[in-house]
Amino acid sequence: MIYVRAIHFAATLLAAGVALFLVFVAEPAFRDGTSEARLPAILRPQLIGIAWIGLALAAISGAAWLVLTAAEMSGEPLAAMLSDGTFWTVLSRTTFGNDWLARFVLACLLAAALAPFRSERKTNSPLLKAVLAIVAAAFAGTLAWAGHAAGGIGLAALIHPAADVLHLIAAAAWVGALLPLLLMFAAAAGDRPSFAIARIATLHFSTLGIVSVGTLLATGAVNTWYLAGSIPALVGTDYGRLLLAKIALFLIMVAIAALNRLQLTPRIVQETDQTSAQAALRQLRRNATTETLLGAIVIAIVAVLGTLPPGSHAAHHHEQSGPVPAGAAFVHIHSEQGMIEVTIMPGRTGIARAIIHLWNDDYEALEAKAVTLTLTPPVAGSPSTTRVASPGPDEAWQVDRIRLAQPGNWTVAVDALLSSGKRLVLDAPIVIDAN
Amino acid sequence: MRTFIAIVSLLLMATGAARAHAFLDHANPLVGSTVGAAPHEVSLWFTQNLEPAFSSAEVMDASGARVDQGKAQISGNTMRIGLKPLAPGSYKVRWRALSVDTHTTEGSFSFHVGP
Repeated sequence: MIYVRAIHFAATLLAAGVALFLVFVAEPAFRDGTSEARLPAILRPQLIGIAWIGLALAAISGAAWLVLTAAEMSGEPLAAMLSDGTFWTVLSRTTFGNDWLARFVLACLLAAALAPFRSERKTNSPLLKAVLAIVAAAFAGTLAWAGHAAGGIGLAALIHPAADVLHLIAAAAWVGALLPLLLMFAAAAGDRPSFAIARIATLHFSTLGIVSVGTLLATGAVNTWYLAGSIPALVGTDYGRLLLAKIALFLIMVAIAALNRLQLTPRIVQETDQTSAQAALRQLRRNATTETLLGAIVIAIVAVLGTLPPGSHAAHHHEQSGPVPAGAAFVHIHSEQGMIEVTIMPGRTGIARAIIHLWNDDYEALEAKAVTLTLTPPVAGSPSTTRVASPGPDEAWQVDRIRLAQPGNWTVAVDALLSSGKRLVLDAPIVIDAN
Repeated sequence: MRTFIAIVSLLLMATGAARAHAFLDHANPLVGSTVGAAPHEVSLWFTQNLEPAFSSAEVMDASGARVDQGKAQISGNTMRIGLKPLAPGSYKVRWRALSVDTHTTEGSFSFHVGP
């Protein structure tokens, strides 16, 4: 699954990146150049070619991703899922399936929108360029609904996907454009007019790069807040640590890009000495190659991240939603100050142990200084038992050797003095079965 | 400079991020509660929007027999299941939720009908 995701991300970003590179870097540079330059005639078919290859790879990997996801969603084995109509249900009745249908259409549109740019004739049309840019952006941006940005409720449902869409488009515009940039450098060495075009293009790419990096930073911060919004989530979970690695690689790429922009690009653009400018161009090519490799690693990390539970989730314990242990009595109590879960094992008359969990509204464990458990038997007038709980494993409290003499509706009350100084007192009925 | 600000702001971000995976937020009847009158339906609220095509729930009595009836009504992050008339006793709800983000979660809880 991870390989399929990585290939699909890379192919999508490449195809969209070529398109955006064409519209915002290559064509403006071609227009400003002279007609004797051989570069445009060499580069255009190359760019369209790799974009189409990218789209083909995206289609194949996308189909594989869809099939694997449909199998996971339905819980059925692959062959059954494909033959019994479940696959169609996934395609037509789930958000992921619908997103994939839309992206397939966009992929076809993108392939068509690229075609006029193979040769010079129609490439000056602003309409064709606008269509190409929009379709490419949509093709990259709609990947947002294949990941963790989908499914939020309330404000998160608006902001998180919006940030993720922009994040993907900016990634396509920058990382996806590195390969076209390298192709352009390779084609530019032939003659002076071509070199002149490459100079102009490098300037345009710089601007595109700055806008993209800024967008990636801002939207990356928003995404990080939603998916790993705390220090424990960032350093204490696999997801968080991988995310930190991604951010570190991104920062290295930005540093190289800054070097390119501040040192090398001026030398290429301003130097009248051809030798010095050519040397700067060679260095730029090496840097862009390094950036491309780092970008590939980032994409691989993203492919893994999507298969892990986000740090903000994995950092918590979720016994609340897991199945209750067999034979246990269990109660979950909600209040404005927090939630308490009491599990009594075994949940029948005899000697039992109580495990107590204290959570805040975000399912983070509440720290307490002292916890007391009071159990009141069903029969009215029977004496209650109050015991002091001791800290146990997994941020829980426990009380051992509780004597449960009668079956029926007991009342369990928990009195917790929290580390914050507040007191959390909650009670609820709990059913104890007969032996 | 921009990079430094970005790192610092990332580190300063408060907690409270969204959970990706639909977990049970609350239910009616309340989890673990005892209700005097038999409810006509069980409602479940989740932390994420669900895919109706792949989310479901069952309600069983103490002997394991199904007491839910009809199809679960699912919309947004809510699931409702109709119930047959319930006698006093202990009931268990088992739910399976597919979040819109393609991840499946499941869980269960009990409630009691009685005096």
